[in-house]
Amino acid sequence: MSAKLDKLCQNLRDVLGQRIGSLGVDRGEVTLVVAAADYLEVATTLRDHPDLCFEQLMDLCGVDYGAYGEVAYSATNPAGTPRFAAVSHLLSLTHNWRLRLRVFAPDDGFPVVDSLVDVWNGVNWFEREAFDLYGIMFSGHPDLRRILTDYGFVGHPFRKDFPVFGHVEMRYDPAQQRVVYQPVTIEPREVTPRIVREDNYGKVDDRG
Amino acid sequence: MSIEGVLQEGFVTTSLDKLINWTRTGSLWPVTFGLACCAIEMIHTGVSRYDLDRFGVVFRPSPRQSDVMIIAGTLTNKMAPALRKVYDQMAEPRWVISMGSCANGGGYYHYSYSVVRGCDRIVPVDIYVPGCPPTAEALLYGIIQLQNKITRTFTIAR
Repeated sequence: MSAKLDKLCQNLRDVLGQRIGSLGVDRGEVTLVVAAADYLEVATTLRDHPDLCFEQLMDLCGVDYGAYGEVAYSATNPAGTPRFAAVSHLLSLTHNWRLRLRVFAPDDGFPVVDSLVDVWNGVNWFEREAFDLYGIMFSGHPDLRRILTDYGFVGHPFRKDFPVFGHVEMRYDPAQQRVVYQPVTIEPREVTPRIVREDNYGKVDDRG
Repeated sequence: MSIEGVLQEGFVTTSLDKLINWTRTGSLWPVTFGLACCAIEMIHTGVSRYDLDRFGVVFRPSPRQSDVMIIAGTLTNKMAPALRKVYDQMAEPRWVISMGSCANGGGYYHYSYSVVRGCDRIVPVDIYVPGCPPTAEALLYGIIQLQNKITRTFTIAR
């Protein structure tokens, strides 16, 4: 870990203290996980505190961990990891460092996290996208509606239980003189990739 | 009234069908309808290197001034009603060129939840240009094929 990331982690620990859920560094990138209750407050602190100064939010996206978290994150979260998370990437122009901020939505059935619109104005459409594709609600968002999918679309297509071919398809109906929806007519196709892997795959080459 | 003067000047004869088809093939005005990456190749066909103006193909910003629609790219469910509306606004006679795999049959996105599996589900298609994306030459060939198709149609003699 470089001295700069050390400094960033130390600043985060000093400033946030108990509000840090977990703080990790991997491949030169810092990831901070916070609880949903602290989310908005932490975000405001990250922006305003002079030792952190994350003026800019580069991106926010939703994540559906599905069953993944039960294996990978059980050590840090013994109660079981929630399914949905909102991940945002922050940039500090003052200090020239970056941070990944992740918050898990507590309820899998109705995932809600706070909206960051009041902290970083530009997150507006990113949160609409995460809502559209994953169904994560952002409380406090001024205009939370679909942004990418079709008007009147039903479901959240990036969820892992959403079939890739969807539920409806479109065609032109000559009788009604307009484009209509109909149930999907194609055969579902699940492709199981054939794994070709040599015996020494993944082993460290000791030839130097 | 005599025809001596005309005989001196010279004349050609043709059928009205051929004249109509000549005028139609000579000024195929496509409505600008770029949907995805194929639109870039469509632009390549249009500008100086291949120069669609040589064939009388001039892109128009309005469907009401257009004869042909080049569907260049992925047609999504969200776009389909708009595409049909643009097609309905075009005056007869009108033709449709489907350009690229996505417009032909869904292509890469055939199994997607949001893509129309071929634009012929929405509008009738005259010429399919294969490719992903088709080269500018391929689209040019498709336009010439459409001209050949128009030449074979008869408006007066049926």
